[in-house]
Amino acid sequence: MAGRAAQSGRVRSDGTHEGFLRHENFRWLKIATMMSLLALVSYLLIDVQPRHNGGSWFGYTLGTIGVLIILWLSLIGIRKRKMSRGHWSLKAWTSAHVYLGLSLIVIATLHTGFQLGWNVHTLAYVLMMIVILSGVWGISVYATLPKVMSANRDQTTEAQMLASLRSIDRQLHDAAQPLDQNHAELVRSSLDQDPFGGGIIRRMANRYATCKTRQAHDEILVIMGSQPGGKDDPLEKVGSLLGRKRAILARTRKHLQLKAMLEIWLYLHVPLTFALIAALVAHIVSVFFYW
Amino acid sequence: MSFLIRQISRTSDGREIIRAYPHDVREIIIGREASCEIHLADLAVELRHARLTLQANGKLDVVALAGNGFEVDGSKTSQAVIDPAGGSELRFGSHLLVISVDDGVVVITAERIEVLSDSTQEKDEIGLFTLRSIMPSRRLMAWALSIIILLALLVWPIHTFYNYQNAEKRPAAFHADSLWSSGSLSSPHAGLGMDCQSCHTEAFVAVSDSSCVSCHEDVHDHADPKRLKLAKAPLNWDGKISRKIAETFSRPEGRCVECHTEHEGAGPMEDTKQQFCSSCHTDMNKRLTDTKIANAGDFGTAHPQFKPEVITANGSPPKRERISLDQKPLEDSGLKFPHDVHLSRTNGVARMGQQFGFGQALDCKDCHIKTPDGVQFQAIDMEQSCAMCHSLGIEKIGDTVRTLRHGDPKMVVADLRAFYRAGGPYRVRTRQVMEGRKRPGSYARSQPYYAYFGSVNYSRADSAIRSVFSKGGACYDCHTVITPPAGSDNWQVQKVHQTSRFMMKGWFDHAAHDTETCSSCHAAKKSGNASELLLPGIKTCRTCHGGEASNADVPSSCAMCHSFHADDGAPWVPKFDMTRKRDLSKARVENIKVRT
Repeated sequence: MAGRAAQSGRVRSDGTHEGFLRHENFRWLKIATMMSLLALVSYLLIDVQPRHNGGSWFGYTLGTIGVLIILWLSLIGIRKRKMSRGHWSLKAWTSAHVYLGLSLIVIATLHTGFQLGWNVHTLAYVLMMIVILSGVWGISVYATLPKVMSANRDQTTEAQMLASLRSIDRQLHDAAQPLDQNHAELVRSSLDQDPFGGGIIRRMANRYATCKTRQAHDEILVIMGSQPGGKDDPLEKVGSLLGRKRAILARTRKHLQLKAMLEIWLYLHVPLTFALIAALVAHIVSVFFYW
Repeated sequence: MSFLIRQISRTSDGREIIRAYPHDVREIIIGREASCEIHLADLAVELRHARLTLQANGKLDVVALAGNGFEVDGSKTSQAVIDPAGGSELRFGSHLLVISVDDGVVVITAERIEVLSDSTQEKDEIGLFTLRSIMPSRRLMAWALSIIILLALLVWPIHTFYNYQNAEKRPAAFHADSLWSSGSLSSPHAGLGMDCQSCHTEAFVAVSDSSCVSCHEDVHDHADPKRLKLAKAPLNWDGKISRKIAETFSRPEGRCVECHTEHEGAGPMEDTKQQFCSSCHTDMNKRLTDTKIANAGDFGTAHPQFKPEVITANGSPPKRERISLDQKPLEDSGLKFPHDVHLSRTNGVARMGQQFGFGQALDCKDCHIKTPDGVQFQAIDMEQSCAMCHSLGIEKIGDTVRTLRHGDPKMVVADLRAFYRAGGPYRVRTRQVMEGRKRPGSYARSQPYYAYFGSVNYSRADSAIRSVFSKGGACYDCHTVITPPAGSDNWQVQKVHQTSRFMMKGWFDHAAHDTETCSSCHAAKKSGNASELLLPGIKTCRTCHGGEASNADVPSSCAMCHSFHADDGAPWVPKFDMTRKRDLSKARVENIKVRT
């Protein structure tokens, strides 16, 4: 899945694509791996008494490296708003961001010395891990979902999705004019409802249990089944329009679900980064305060 | 003409289109049906929704024709009479009908005031297709979380610290700075968990020894600090880095907490690691050339032979010296005692033991009684452990046996003189004394033992006194007797010194060795002389004990036997009674004193 993301990069001078993961032949993957291995080997070789913890000289070293990496990683928020090319292109920066971020899993975990508890120190660690894991989630959805999304969209744009929905609503409105009130109400409930309403959970799960369009369509199908009408029966027309609206809604909702999944990681990644920096401030100050 | 219907619609660019339909009737129908005079293309409107009747008095009668009513000036009803001249608003579904009069004609202006469907209204498309519409903004979340964290985990704990800085004691409750604790305190310090300031007395200043000694008053230095510094092994590279960092961040060297680390989790305090001792002691004589302490780095591989403190000259006080067991030191305790004879299973001692109910033979425990804590043994008491066989009885008066007084030679002399002075029936009395059962070989049922005198002229006190103090006599067998010049009665017995602890620099706990028999370490059965030290050498210990990192049955760091803060008690081991309550508030009071 990483491969997909890697392919969707800038076109290089030799004509091949190179994504941020693959940047410069995995330069930052190599650097981050070396850093992690170095930390791990040092951890195993250096004898800290009575056991490894964040408060030994080795612990402080790892902690200092960790906090510097975290601060640098968070600068991507500023960096991405400024374009530049070459060595420190945004792609290089992103590549480093990803791999150095992953190396923090090793560096910070060793910094803890596996001593965790209900305190400010572990809070900072847990926040960092959530930020990293949300980033991993982000990369994986960026790698997989666009393909699913374009298959779902099938050449339609978002504007077209909404336009066709509006069009079908107008047609429904017109077609329902001759209907008696009971049937007209069904159509009206479909027209009045916000078909994409509800919170993040409904959108991510793509479950719209109270969808009036679906209910109206189902009911009209039942009615038509019991009183089959002719070709000119307005109910027939309304039924088929509701069926079309249902299909448009299904596609649009799927699209919304995929977009939500593409986006949601940033709602963890970014705010929790700031929460992490706040927790790090508390963590570091507390260590020196009760020195 | 009675009605003028003006229907307003809008083009896609918002332009108004007004169509006017005059109706010269007194009654018109409002509904969704195309045949209605007021045709409202509105699904919320019934096919034939309401009827408007213009009455003779010029008023309008509005009646709903189906279940759904309508609104008149904002209130819902199914029937209303309105005065067109006064103007009015009727609401049917999404349509608003404004009624007025113009030149005697009732003008009804109908206009859709709500959108046709939810999707047809203006929407923020970017908002719809992103999470912005349904999630709080990232910026807001970032600020909120950061502020909450800083308030709860930084401001609140700091406030707690300054709030209680001059307080004698914190109330027993949750205190926010405990959120800073990097791990639980060890069990002896568990009571201090919510009172960070019992140790962390000043902000940004490292924990100092004054916090520790405010409770641990008796702790003393391991050695002269100057010599201690000399003895230290040169730091290796990581030690140097560590030292440098500590100096940079003002953490003084040699504080209690360097070894006694805290916040390492609940349970006993961390055992001191062997390396802590061995870093100095492995090759200490290189740096501390005048030291008398032999090098030791590991119990299993680098530890000198034990040097028990033995009495080399019995005097007052006795001369004690630490001599290596390799030199087979002898102890001059002042006592003559063959262990082998007393532990034999076949000789007269065994026979006597059997008669007294000690089983097949005497056992160590028949004489050696443990101290209450089980660590050591009580001193042997002659009356309790020896006198049953080694009787000092001289005379039987009724059922009572008169004895010579043990430990008081002058009284022995006096008693014997008194015995002879008492007179007849002289023969009977002396026979009883001198010829009573003397030794296990001359046992006779139901007869008491008497002190033995060896060869003696039974008729004279002088002779009896000399005999009891001389070879073959009761005193001489066990004690070293200092013979007086001829004609003097000043018989003296050398004082007996029983050593309860030989290993003065280490600690041996017999209770911890309950699984062993006495003879697995002490070769008492083969010892014929009380001066022989029956202490096992290091080789014996090493059958079970090895260094901290060894594969021995009992890996043993230095701290198992040696105490850094050595005193007469057991070394610090992490198994002392954690449940006992200590008055930890004392620590606070002392700390306040230190602070102010």
